[in-house]
Amino acid sequence: MSDKAAAMLSRSEASPPARWTARSNVSPARIGLLALTTAVLIFLPFVVTGYVLYIANLLLVFVVLCLGLHLVIGETGQFALAHAAFYGIGIYTSGLAGNAFGWPFPMSMLLAGLIAGAVGVVIGAVALCMRDIYLALATFAFGEALQWVFLNWDKVTGGPNGLRISPARLGTLEILSDKQAYPVVAITTLLMLLLTILISRSRLGRSFRAVRESEVAAMAMGIPVRRAKVTAFGLSAFYAGVAGSMFATFSTYIHPDSLGFQTTILVLTMVVVGGLGSIAGAVGGAVVFGLISEFLRQTPSYQEIIYGLILIVFMMYAPRGLFAFIHDKAGRVFRG
Amino acid sequence: MTLEVAFLFLQQGVASGLIIGSVYALLALAIVVIFKTSEVPNFSQGEMVMAAAYIALYLLVFRSLPLWIVMPATILLAFAGAALFRRLILNQVARANGSPVNLVIATLGLSYVLRGFVRQTGFGDTPRSFPPVIEPESILIGQASVTTLDLVILATAIIVMAAFFWMFKYTKIGRAMRAVGMNPKAAQLVGVDLTRIHMIVWGLSGAISAVAALLISPKVLMTADMGSIVTLGFAAAIVGGFTSLPGAVVGGFLIGIIENLVGLFVASRAIVLAPFLAIMLVLVIRPQGLFGGRVEIKKV
Repeated sequence: MSDKAAAMLSRSEASPPARWTARSNVSPARIGLLALTTAVLIFLPFVVTGYVLYIANLLLVFVVLCLGLHLVIGETGQFALAHAAFYGIGIYTSGLAGNAFGWPFPMSMLLAGLIAGAVGVVIGAVALCMRDIYLALATFAFGEALQWVFLNWDKVTGGPNGLRISPARLGTLEILSDKQAYPVVAITTLLMLLLTILISRSRLGRSFRAVRESEVAAMAMGIPVRRAKVTAFGLSAFYAGVAGSMFATFSTYIHPDSLGFQTTILVLTMVVVGGLGSIAGAVGGAVVFGLISEFLRQTPSYQEIIYGLILIVFMMYAPRGLFAFIHDKAGRVFRG
Repeated sequence: MTLEVAFLFLQQGVASGLIIGSVYALLALAIVVIFKTSEVPNFSQGEMVMAAAYIALYLLVFRSLPLWIVMPATILLAFAGAALFRRLILNQVARANGSPVNLVIATLGLSYVLRGFVRQTGFGDTPRSFPPVIEPESILIGQASVTTLDLVILATAIIVMAAFFWMFKYTKIGRAMRAVGMNPKAAQLVGVDLTRIHMIVWGLSGAISAVAALLISPKVLMTADMGSIVTLGFAAAIVGGFTSLPGAVVGGFLIGIIENLVGLFVASRAIVLAPFLAIMLVLVIRPQGLFGGRVEIKKV
């Protein structure tokens, strides 16, 4: 326990885990990992069928959601808990743009991201005056309030009846199956992954990490702390909006129930259990935990118990996440 | 709406608000006492309430034990369960030395386990109703109509809160808790056993949750998701400043009253939204909450 009143939800300055330090070198292993990911994504549709591709689409949506949350929590250290709300904005925006105006999906995807991002900047500008637990709670309240709006704004969102989403289209092409949606989803995911890597390695990413490690030190170095935080929050909302739009390309129906705090928490656990502060952790956490909850769907009654136990055990024995854990163990084996 | 009706609504809103608010205040107290001593917002608080309610239901209905055994047994079990969770699980999580958010994720893990367990036993499959402690008869106070059960709820909540404040303020354990809340290292240096204090704090929080569960269960339908009522406890804690115990109590009553007044004067659909708007309003106007201390300036 730290003796300062560094709140639980903030990065404390004391003992930052090793993986949190900035990296500037492009290691072959890292490029190999990226190449492998790309290869798996390309060859997947040739070897599997319908249901598996649906799962793959869903996992990729979670990957993008995790990348967004990674930017604001992992890189900038701000515990914002309204991710599902922005995801919802993305789904409804692109669903409505498709339903009402028949927009082609790349445009509605961009629109979804931009609207979510804009709302994120506005909310961020207010909420990021606060820190630690207060920031977490303010964004939590915003998320709950927005879910209420989704549930009660009948004319636009369909309210408790949910909203039917018409198939995504581009010119004469209509996306009617998971298989058709997959390339769109996969390419978008890769683009978002590349964007994340670029941001993380840019001046912006460095300023994010500086804010995470110490706001005072960052300020002293001339980093506009407030702007960095709001930018990170806006970017994370943009990612969530795009993820929502990706979801809208392969699903036909959305209900506000799936846009509440539970979803935010699911994404948060993916990011933390994957490994807070690393892109590989965010992606890996999304894939591994997305798969686990999907497998557990076969045994619904035990699903929650097992999922909860996994979280607890991870926090007890692999505190820095799945990938740091594997890394440590593998390192020990190689060193003998 | 005539003035007369408005005045009637106001009385009814305040009366109902104070009653449900007393339960929110208990929940907020249970959240804040943990946050004050270990800086963990306990996300499994709702499931602790839910589990306690089901333990009571099981003992009362399925084992047909008398009420005077069921109540203390439920409270004791909740105390023991929460204290053991702190001792066996969270101690190890803290020792593993990851990011501070790990403790929060561990409490989330517990909430999943408890909810899954109640579903697994089959009690949570259908909504159940808890037999009321006393037969509710309605009474008029001023022009507001309340039931005898409501008055029992309010009185019990106030007694429990008073006992808790007395303990926190005047007993040795209470002083040790406050010391740990201010500075754990210094408290340890003067001989406070941190592990033991954390266990007691969690146990007390569990016990208060159990009391809240016993009070609220007769008024709501019991399901495995009934823990979501704690969201309002969180709202109360935030409005009160999140680190202030009196703030938690005031916040609880405020949220209860706001919720009822919004329901009567605005629309019943807006009830759910009211607490979140209250949270955002309070945080924007006064970020440290109504009773939170001044924001500390951190040194580098």
